[in-house]
Amino acid sequence: MAGRDLGVNDSGFGEDARGPGADGPAASGSTPAPAPAAGASSSGAGRVSPWIFVRLKLRLVAGNLRGNGVRLAGFVFTVIAALLVAGLGFLGLAALRFAPDDVAADVGIVLFSGFLLVWAVGPLLAFGLDDTLDPSRLSLFPLRTGQLAAGMFAASVTGVWPAATLVVMFGAVVGLAAGAGGALLGVVAVLLQFALCIVTSRLVTTSLSGVLRTRRGRDVLAVSVLFFVLAAQLPNLLLNGGFSADPAAALRSLASVLRWTPPGMAAHAVTDGGLVAVAELAFLAVLVLVVGRLWIAALRRALVTPDGSTEGGASSVRNSRGLLARILPDGPLAAVATKELKYARRDPRGRVGWFSSVAVTGVLAFSLSQGEGAGGIGLAVGPACLGAVMIGLQSANSFGIDGRSLWMNAVAYGTGRDWRTDLAGRHLAVATIAAPLLGLLSVVAALLAGNLAWAVPAALTAWGVLGVGLGIGAVTSVLVPYSVPDRLNAFTGAVPGQGGIAFVASFGAMIGGGLLSLPVTLPVLLGLTWVSALAVPYGLLLSWAGRRLAGDLGFRRYPELVGAVSQSG
Amino acid sequence: MTDIAEAVRTQRLVKRFGQQVAVGGVDLVVPRGSFAGLVGPNGAGKTTTLSMVTGLLRPDEGAIHIDGLDVWRDPVAVKARIGVLPEGLRLFERLSGRELLSYNGQLRGIPKAEVEQRAEELLRVMDLADSADKLVVDYSTGMRKKIGLAAALLHNPRVLFLDEPFEGVDPVSANTLTEVLRRYTASGATVVFSSHVMDLVERLCDWVSVMSRGQIVAQGPLDRVRAGRSLNEAFLGLVGARGDGQGPGGEEGLSWLGATSA
Repeated sequence: MAGRDLGVNDSGFGEDARGPGADGPAASGSTPAPAPAAGASSSGAGRVSPWIFVRLKLRLVAGNLRGNGVRLAGFVFTVIAALLVAGLGFLGLAALRFAPDDVAADVGIVLFSGFLLVWAVGPLLAFGLDDTLDPSRLSLFPLRTGQLAAGMFAASVTGVWPAATLVVMFGAVVGLAAGAGGALLGVVAVLLQFALCIVTSRLVTTSLSGVLRTRRGRDVLAVSVLFFVLAAQLPNLLLNGGFSADPAAALRSLASVLRWTPPGMAAHAVTDGGLVAVAELAFLAVLVLVVGRLWIAALRRALVTPDGSTEGGASSVRNSRGLLARILPDGPLAAVATKELKYARRDPRGRVGWFSSVAVTGVLAFSLSQGEGAGGIGLAVGPACLGAVMIGLQSANSFGIDGRSLWMNAVAYGTGRDWRTDLAGRHLAVATIAAPLLGLLSVVAALLAGNLAWAVPAALTAWGVLGVGLGIGAVTSVLVPYSVPDRLNAFTGAVPGQGGIAFVASFGAMIGGGLLSLPVTLPVLLGLTWVSALAVPYGLLLSWAGRRLAGDLGFRRYPELVGAVSQSG
Repeated sequence: MTDIAEAVRTQRLVKRFGQQVAVGGVDLVVPRGSFAGLVGPNGAGKTTTLSMVTGLLRPDEGAIHIDGLDVWRDPVAVKARIGVLPEGLRLFERLSGRELLSYNGQLRGIPKAEVEQRAEELLRVMDLADSADKLVVDYSTGMRKKIGLAAALLHNPRVLFLDEPFEGVDPVSANTLTEVLRRYTASGATVVFSSHVMDLVERLCDWVSVMSRGQIVAQGPLDRVRAGRSLNEAFLGLVGARGDGQGPGGEEGLSWLGATSA
C-alpha cells in the first residue's frame, strides 16, 4: 500500500516533517522521555487529525477486500452478523423496559460489565487482525504520542464491531433510562462506557504488544486462549450444575457485586438519571482519562522497546522417533503422520485445538450428565459422540495449519494417490490421539451415566463418528480450504477476510458429518445397542471414501489449495 | 517434442490476476547444465513465472517443459526431477532442521537410512550441524535459506529452482550457498535462480534471462546479454531505466531534497 493509499501525503505529514522545529516534542507527555518518533523530527505534527487514522483504517479495510470475491463475501457475512447482533442486541436491551425495574437494572449492570470484559480480552485474542492496531508500524511518523493515541483511538472505533457495540449499548438507554434527563445522562453514560471499552482494550493490547511480538509470548498467549474457551463454558456449567435453582437470585447477587465496577456504574447511571448518575458519570470520565493516560504511557514505552523476537537462545528438540514412526513403513504416510503428531505438540495452534476440543467436550459431557431427563444410554453415547464431532471438526481444514509450508508437499506429490496418502497420514495422526481419548471419555461418560457397560457402545459409536468426521473433513479440506493465522484468534480461526469460508467449512463439516453419522448414532441412541458394532467399520469406510474423493479433488486443484491456505494472516 | 538439450522451456506462458497481466507470454529457455539467472525489477513476473514452472501456480495459457516433460501433463516425472526453494522462506516452522530434511526425503519415498545419511551431509556442508535440532521457527534468514536449499537438494533433482535465494542472507551463508550450487552445476545439473543483485548474477551465472513487465526482454549466454557492458548497465538499458548513472528525472523534481534546501 503506497503512501497515497495511506491517505497521509496530502494531509500533513509530508509538509510538517520539514517544517523547522515548531512546537517541540511530545507536548502532551508528562514524562521526560518522548518517543523517538516525535522527538527525532522535533517538528510539530499539529495538523494530523484523528480523521486521517479513520481514513487509513477504512482504506485498509477496503484494500483488503479489493479484487477478492471470497474476502468480500466474508466481509459481507461479518457485516450481516454485526447488523444482526446490533439489531437484536438493541431490541433486547430496549425490551428491558417491559421487565421489572430492578431486574432490568441488574441485567443492564451485568451486560455492561460483560461488554467491558469482551472488549478487554477480545482484541487481544484477535491481535493482528487489524493493521492499525500495531503502533510499531506508525512509530517512524513524526507524531506526538498524544496524536498517535488520539488517532489510534479514532481508528479503533472505526469498525463494524465497535459500531455494533455502540448500537447495542444505546439499546440500554431505551430500555433503562428514566425520563428525558435520564435519557440525556444515558447517552453520556453509554458514550463513556464505550470509550472505556475501547481505551481499556487498547491499553491491554499495547501493554502486551511487546510480549506478543516474541514467539514465546505468542505461544503462551495462544495457549491461554484455552482459558477463554473454558470461561465460555462456565455459564453452561453453572446453569446445568445446579449452582443456582433461582436465576433471579443469581442475577441479583452477580449484579450487586458488579454494581460498583465502572461498567456497573455506567449502567446504573442510565437507570438512575439523577445526581448520583452525574457523580458516577464524572467518575467514569475521569477513569477514561486515567486509562487513556496509562495507555499513552504504554504506547510510548512500546514504541521504544526493541522487538524481542530474536532474543534468547532457541532450545533444541529431542531427536526421537515416535511410536508411530517405528511401526509404520517408511514413506510419505509415516512422514505426514509423525509430522502431524509433532505439530499437535509443538504448534500452539495444534495444542489449542486439541485442548479446547477436549475441554469443551468434557464440560459438555459433565453438564449433560447433570441435567435430569430420560437418562439411559444416551448419556454415555451422547458426550462421546460429541467429543468425536469436536475432534473431527479440527480436521475440516486439515491443511490449514501447514499453511504456507504446504508447497513442500505440493512439489512432491504428482498424483491423486499421493494426496490421498497425505490425508491418510493426517487422519492416522488424529486417530492416534483421538481413539484413546474417546475411549477414556466414553468410560467417564458411562460412569457418570451410571452404567460402566455403556462405555463399550459409546466408544464404538464415537470412533465411528470420528471416522465419518474425518471423511467429511477430508472433502471440506480440499473444497473449502482456508488459512489459519500464525497469530491466534479465538473467534474465527481464519485470516482476515476468510472468516466466511471458515464458517462454511466447519458448518458444512458439522452438518455433513452429523447427517452421515445418523445411520449409526440414531439406532444406538434409540436402544439398538448392537448397531454400535457396525459403527467402526462404517466410520472407516466413510473416511476412506472421503480420502478417495478428496485425494483426486485435491490433486486436481492443488495450486488453488496451496494458494488458499497460504494467505498471510 | 522439445529439444532435450534444454532443461527448461516455456511457450507463451501467460498468467493474469484479475485485470493485471503478471506474466504476458514468456518463452523462458534454460540449457541443460547451466547456472541460469532470472533477473528483473520487482513486479516483472519472476516469482509468478517460477511458481508456474514449478507447478505451484496454474498458468492461464502456455506450456512448460522440463527435460522435455510437460509440467502439467506429466507431474510425477517432473516433480521427481525438480527441486524448489520458493520465495518467502515458507518452511515447516515447528520441525527442527533435521526433521524438515527427513520429512522431505520420506515424502519423496527415499529410504529412511538414505535420507538420514544425506541429511547429515547436507547439514554439515551447510554449516547447520550445530542447529540441526533447533526448530526452524528460531532460525535466522541465512539459516532458513540454507535449510531450504538443503531440502530442495535432498532428492538430488536435475533442475533446481530458487526464488531469491540470496535475499537477506549474510555474506558467510551466501558463500556457503554459492559453493554448494557451483558444485551442483559442475556435475551437469541445472540451476535457475531469480535475483536482482546483478553483481551476484554476473559472478555466478553463465546464462541470463532478463524479465521486464511480464516479458522476457533478453535471454542468452551471459556475455551475449551484457554485450561488453557490465550486466547492471545492460540490465538498466533493457528494462528501460536510464543506465547512465543519472538519478530518475535528473535535475527536475525533488529540488527540495537535501541539506542545502531551505
